[in-house]
Amino acid sequence: MTVFKEVVAELIGMFVGEKALTIAVLMVVATAGGLVDFAGVTPLVGGAVLLFGCLILFIESVCRSARAGAF
Amino acid sequence: MMSWSTAAPAVSAAFLASLVEVVEAFTIVLAVATLRGWRPAALGTTAGLALLAGIVLLLGPLLDRVPIHSLQLAIGILLLLFGMGWLRKASLRAGGIIPLHDEDAIFAAETAELSGQVSRQQSKLHWVAAITALKAVLLEGLEVVFIVIAVGAGRGLLMPAGLGALAACALVLVVGAVIHRPLSRVPENSLKFGVGVMLSAFGVFWTGEGLGIAWPGQDLALLLFAALFLAAGLVGATLSRRIGVEITQ
Repeated sequence: MTVFKEVVAELIGMFVGEKALTIAVLMVVATAGGLVDFAGVTPLVGGAVLLFGCLILFIESVCRSARAGAF
Repeated sequence: MMSWSTAAPAVSAAFLASLVEVVEAFTIVLAVATLRGWRPAALGTTAGLALLAGIVLLLGPLLDRVPIHSLQLAIGILLLLFGMGWLRKASLRAGGIIPLHDEDAIFAAETAELSGQVSRQQSKLHWVAAITALKAVLLEGLEVVFIVIAVGAGRGLLMPAGLGALAACALVLVVGAVIHRPLSRVPENSLKFGVGVMLSAFGVFWTGEGLGIAWPGQDLALLLFAALFLAAGLVGATLSRRIGVEITQ
């Protein structure tokens, strides 16, 4: 049972390293998808939102973690 | 027909990511073997590999039933989260905020923990050792399986990506068997940095395709994404180092 719990925790930890970053990335994906599917925006604009949104979130997350002094 | 330019990013990503994971699993299996002999280490490793094979055989056929755009979107999002997580940690390690992964230290800690458990549970010592090896192989192996599926499933590249992962396993086993000590000289953070860049690039690519975005240049867009994530990782490492210096001052 302990092994099973550790496997589940490991699986979750693989994708949720930092909760704030995970939630923000999911919101960027939802925004890009919403722009393409519902706002009628050119798909490439949605792609740019996705790409640059992720890059900005990444740098913000690294800086925030560095300020906190730990991961 | 599959071209080398299409398969190369998937194969190299699977190979490098698997190399990191297999080195981590090898360190723990070696600690078990050093302390309790190769029998429980081999037993745990075999059981872990059998469980992994069972998971792949059980879930593998389900992939064919998922519509390609849904599969690309799901895998793309998971890759983004996984890849950006690796890249974030690698940047923080490069910036000196969190310590580097040290296989020698992990080997020593695992050996000490096993010794403690063994002295407390003398009658179960082989099982403790075997389960430790099983957990290491299963947990690190699950990451290898995910990476192979993630970089291979979207374009029918499961077989080449799987071969890349197998090559990494073979390389670690051969080198490990020869030197018979933790592979501490593997530049693990540099590898994680590179793999984080590649997986994040794949993540944006697949997520976009899943959302119906036709990337200009098709597969070549992956190179641009990788270059941008590499730059972001380097900027992140520089900024975190600077922040670390400011905080200590």
